[in-house]
Amino acid sequence: MTTTEQPPRLPFTRGNALEIAPDYEALRRQAPVSRVLTPAGDPAWLITSYEEAKEVFRDRRFGRSHPAPEQASRISYAAVQDGPSGDFESEEREHKRMRRMLAPAFSAPRMRALGDRIAELTDRCLDDLQAARDADPGAPVDLTDFLAFPLPVLVICELLGVPYEDREKFRGLSERIARMDGGEDAQAAMTEFKAYMTELAEAKRADPRPDVISDMVAVQADDPTFTDDDLARMGAGLLFAGHETTSTRIAMGTLFLLTDTARRDRFAADPEGQVAQTVEEILRLTATSGTGLLRYAHEDVEIAGTRIARGDAVLISSDAANRDAAVFADPDEFDPDRTPNVHLAFGTGAHVCIGANLARTELRTVFPKLFRRFPGLRLAVGIDDIPVRTNRVAGGVDRVPVEW
Amino acid sequence: MKITADTGSCVASGQCVLLAPGTFDQDEETGTVVLLAEEPAPGEEDAVRQAELTCPAAAIRLTGA
Ligand code: SF4
Repeated sequence: MTTTEQPPRLPFTRGNALEIAPDYEALRRQAPVSRVLTPAGDPAWLITSYEEAKEVFRDRRFGRSHPAPEQASRISYAAVQDGPSGDFESEEREHKRMRRMLAPAFSAPRMRALGDRIAELTDRCLDDLQAARDADPGAPVDLTDFLAFPLPVLVICELLGVPYEDREKFRGLSERIARMDGGEDAQAAMTEFKAYMTELAEAKRADPRPDVISDMVAVQADDPTFTDDDLARMGAGLLFAGHETTSTRIAMGTLFLLTDTARRDRFAADPEGQVAQTVEEILRLTATSGTGLLRYAHEDVEIAGTRIARGDAVLISSDAANRDAAVFADPDEFDPDRTPNVHLAFGTGAHVCIGANLARTELRTVFPKLFRRFPGLRLAVGIDDIPVRTNRVAGGVDRVPVEW
Repeated sequence: MKITADTGSCVASGQCVLLAPGTFDQDEETGTVVLLAEEPAPGEEDAVRQAELTCPAAAIRLTGA
C-alpha cells in the first residue's frame, strides 16, 4: 500500500434495492471505523460496526454542529445532511428545547389515538390502488403513487397542519433539497421550502389549530431566541423527514415481502400476528442512506482505538451496523422471528428519531391491510429492474410496480 | 422482575410505551417516561425486556428474575 492511495469514496454501489454494498462488510472486517471520502470528496470516518455505531450515537461528545463550520468536511451538495448545522455553543440546549417541544405530539399515547385515522387513510389509499387497477386491468400499478407516497404525506400533513393540496409542491422541494449533487438548486429549494413554512406559520399565528406547527408558533411566542428561521428550518425538516423516510419503508417493505412468495404467504396468513416483528425486520434491513448519519467530534475522542480529532466528520452507517454478523446471525437474511431485534434504523441516544413511533404505527397499519386486501399481490418486474436512488439523501426506489 | 426508569436520562422517545403500554406511559407535557408499576403488567414480561434493550437512553433497568 502506498501513502498516495485514496480512501474509498461514498456512496458505494449495491447490487439491488434489497442489498447493501459489499464494501461495508469489507471495511468492517478491517476495522469498525474507517477512513473514507464523502460524496463531496472530503475526508470522514465511517462507522460500520454495530457496537461502535451505538457508542457514537450515545456519546455526547459528538454533535451536528462544528466548532469551525467553514473548515468542516462537506458531505454532499444536497441541502440536508450536507454539512454542519446549528450553533456549536448552543446545540445541546436547542436540541433539548426542540425535543421538549415536539415530544408530546409524537408520544406513544398520541400515536395510539392517531391509529384509527391512519387506518381510515390507508383504506382510502387501497381503494385508489384498486381503482387504478380496474381502470386498466392489463397494466401493473405503481404502489408508490397510490400508497407509499400518499399515506405518509396524508398523515404528516394532519399532524403538522400542512394542507394536503400542497403535496406536489413540497414533494418537488423535498426531492430537490435531498439530491446529493443538487448544489445551488438544492440551496434554492431549501430557501423556497423555508419560505413556504414561514407563510404557514404566519397563518397558524393568526388562526392556531391543534397541530405541531401551531405548537411551535406558541412556543416561539414565549421564547425570543427561537427565531423565524429556526422555526422554518425545523418545520421543513419535519415535513421532509416525516414523509420521505416512511414512504421508503413502505416501498421497501413491500419489496421484501414480495420477492419471496413463501415469505409473502406466511405473512398474508397471519398479518396481525406477525406485523410487529416483520416491521422491525423491514426496518433493520432497509438500506436508506448512501452516507449514514452525520456527526462532528466536539473534542478529541478515541473510538475502538482510533483517534478522532475535534472537528472530524463521522458518518454512522446504520445500514451497515444493522447487518453486523457480530450481533445479527445471518445478517442478510430476512427473518421476522429474530428476538431481540435491536436494530439502529432510528439511531439511538439523545438524537434518536422523534418520529420512530409514528413510523411504526403507520407501518404496522399498512402491511396487514395491504395483504388482507391483496393476499396474492406480486411484483410486476424483477427486483433487479427496480432502480435504486443512489443520489438521494434518503435513498429509496422510484417505483414499485405491482399486480394481483 | 423489578423495573426502574431513570426520568433524568429519558429522551422521551416513547419506544417503551409502544412496546409495553400497560407498564409504561409518557407524561403528557414532557413526553418523559412514567412507570405505571414496578413489575411488568401481565403478559408484558418479554416486551419489558425488549424495552430495556431498545431504550435509546438506556434509562430502563430490570433487576431480579
Ligand atoms: S424508551 Fe427510554 S427514552 Fe424512550 S420513553 Fe422509554 S424510557 Fe424514555
